[in-house]
Amino acid sequence: MKIEIQDLSFTYGSHKVLDGTTFQVSPGTFVGIIGPNGSGKTTLLKLLSRILKPTAGCVVLGEQSLDSLTQKTLARTMAVVAQDTNAGYQFTVEDVVLMGRAPYLGRFQAESLEDYEIVRQALEVTGCIHLRKRSITELSGGERQRVTIARALAQQPEVLLLDEPTSHLDIGYQQEILDLVKRLSTVEGLTVVAVLHDLNLAAYYCNELVLVHHGKIRACGPATEVLTADNIETVYGTRVLITPHPVFGTPQVSLLSGRGNGPAPKDEQVHVIAGGGSGGELLRDLCEAGYDVTVGVLNVGDSDWEAARALGLPLVSEAPFSSISPERHTDNVAMMQKAQAVILAEIPLGHGNLLNLEAALAAANEGKPVYVLEEKQEQNRDFTAGEGQKLLNLVKEKGIVLTEKTQLYRALTEQFRLSGNQLDDLGDEARPAVD
Amino acid sequence: MKREHKFLLYLSLFSVLVVSVVMATAIGAVAVPPGETFRVIFSRLTGLFDSSDIPRTTTAIIWNLRLPRVLLAALIGASLASAGVTFQGLLRNPLADPFTIGVSSGAATGATLAMLLRQLYQLNFPQMIPLFAFVGAFLAMFFVYNLARIGGQVPVVTLLLAGVVVSSFLSAVISLLMVLSGESMQGIFFWLSGGLMMRSWTEIWFVLPYLLLGFAILYAYARDLNVLLMGEEAALSLGVNVEVTKKILLVVASLVTAAAVSVSGMIGFVGLIIPHAVRIVTGSDHRILLPSSALVGASFLVWADVVARTAMAPKEIPVGIITAFVGAPFFIYLLRKKKSEIRL
Repeated sequence: MKIEIQDLSFTYGSHKVLDGTTFQVSPGTFVGIIGPNGSGKTTLLKLLSRILKPTAGCVVLGEQSLDSLTQKTLARTMAVVAQDTNAGYQFTVEDVVLMGRAPYLGRFQAESLEDYEIVRQALEVTGCIHLRKRSITELSGGERQRVTIARALAQQPEVLLLDEPTSHLDIGYQQEILDLVKRLSTVEGLTVVAVLHDLNLAAYYCNELVLVHHGKIRACGPATEVLTADNIETVYGTRVLITPHPVFGTPQVSLLSGRGNGPAPKDEQVHVIAGGGSGGELLRDLCEAGYDVTVGVLNVGDSDWEAARALGLPLVSEAPFSSISPERHTDNVAMMQKAQAVILAEIPLGHGNLLNLEAALAAANEGKPVYVLEEKQEQNRDFTAGEGQKLLNLVKEKGIVLTEKTQLYRALTEQFRLSGNQLDDLGDEARPAVD
Repeated sequence: MKREHKFLLYLSLFSVLVVSVVMATAIGAVAVPPGETFRVIFSRLTGLFDSSDIPRTTTAIIWNLRLPRVLLAALIGASLASAGVTFQGLLRNPLADPFTIGVSSGAATGATLAMLLRQLYQLNFPQMIPLFAFVGAFLAMFFVYNLARIGGQVPVVTLLLAGVVVSSFLSAVISLLMVLSGESMQGIFFWLSGGLMMRSWTEIWFVLPYLLLGFAILYAYARDLNVLLMGEEAALSLGVNVEVTKKILLVVASLVTAAAVSVSGMIGFVGLIIPHAVRIVTGSDHRILLPSSALVGASFLVWADVVARTAMAPKEIPVGIITAFVGAPFFIYLLRKKKSEIRL
């Protein structure tokens, strides 16, 4: 059944919760409403289910205006699954699901065999049939939520509305519930509108998304169009990386911290030598801590290269799968000159990147602090028959070897605090040799 | 619950009630054997038994003095229990009952006012006391409910507080009325303590229409009460017209309470403990809970009244004192157990 939402507004006191919302839901689609806390998405759902009355605008269900339906007719067309709540009454699962037949029964009419059959089917579809005789109070959160969905199905609705159906559930139950809802939409042709908190789940399951922000629709359409880094940054105020799901290609949202929302830059420059996935976490943490981070030399396509790019860091890059050329090496050394500290991540050593070690050694020889991170000492990462290891040992001799990232961060804090103090207190002549 | 189980349940509860009524009628200052009592009652009712050998005085004691009182006790027990079930279900609150949420006090205030007006100004019209009691009950209910409501919900604590506040206020009003009443003060006092002394068939015919109509309407809304237990928003989406249903049920349950209170005075705790005790056996389905509670409530009050009139014979204890002696400890037990166990 088609749902048309026309210029819907809702005012609570003097606060405009929803402001002129217009969109359409095509029959048989699974639409997700997303948005930050307090953006008006639950209000929108309550207006769709007529629990709240709009201050302006209207909802058209199929061919009829929502206002024109009686409560019972509405309940035969549309079912609502609210957020999970604890049950404080003694009903069996079957009793609860039988209540889904209430809109079809007269005041003194008892449930017929047909009603029991519909209830049995609803219990089977939702995988609750074995719970039939159990008391609702004995069930887990996920089971209770499935029973609520079964009750909704017993209403034989054409539209199913869900308000954060998985908000208190662990990932296993989340998947179970949303798989079920998705199946109802694709197999049974139910039109589903769900408020979802988790953007990745929303993108994974929904045909279309509606992104609500400050009571207005920011974007609406297929997930690829709605879940853009730009939209997310505007609405949630956070930087994210959007990548396709590795298997299904639906957009997935990854958090990106870094200077976007970290503390103000300290103007303390740190150069990181990384590669082969050794630096991603390190780069993120350093950015988060507010350092000016530069990176080099990274091969294009390397995961550290992706990370540096996503974080917007200045970097020296080399063509994919190629050895470091003398030009790039020079760039790298030049970049390193400006840094007050150099960090050598735990990179795999190959003939292609020995120049990175040379650069680190050069910096150490100039008296710049070079921190060598060695978290997995036992693991062999030398693929150069000893040459790399020899070079690394030289760097280690001149530099500072640290076996944990936390030690590194503490050492950096210490270094910059000391240098900062000395600069302030003693003037230029006492500046440390690092410059 | 299966149909056969339901039938067995009703059959046994009804049998208990009939036996209770007969036994209670047999017990008294002049002991009449239960067999004779049975014959007197059922020869009058059905004409199938011959009771011509029983002395006329005995027949008169059974039929004119004891039976109306016992039947009235049964009716009032049934009313208070039904009203209790309705309030608890409607407010989704296991501690609600006509007494704790102030409806009984409202009815008592109304009835006291009626008695005072009757005495002071000779104001009198048929069914004046039940009418005043009903208006009083309704006003008190409306006031407590709105006082307790926070953001569309009625939490236990605020409801009990509001009930206590309104009840204490109304007791003050009643005390004031009693001071003003002078010579009829004692009458009002006995009435307030809840008693069934000197009640006759007149009182039964007086309240019966209200109670039968009330039961019928409450039972008609049993399924809606079930659905309302799911929460008001869920009930809406399951096709229940929540606001209208709530108002109808509040008015009808108050009417039933008011009718009962108007002839029996303040009999507390029946509406609280009977629904909980019955729910342990029947579960939450109001289609079973409501009639079962009515039957159990009826038997309970019949026996409470037997204790009231025999425990200190020839002195009578107001029956409200007996129900309070049983009910108060049970209420405390509920409060202490509430967190983990009590469900609707």
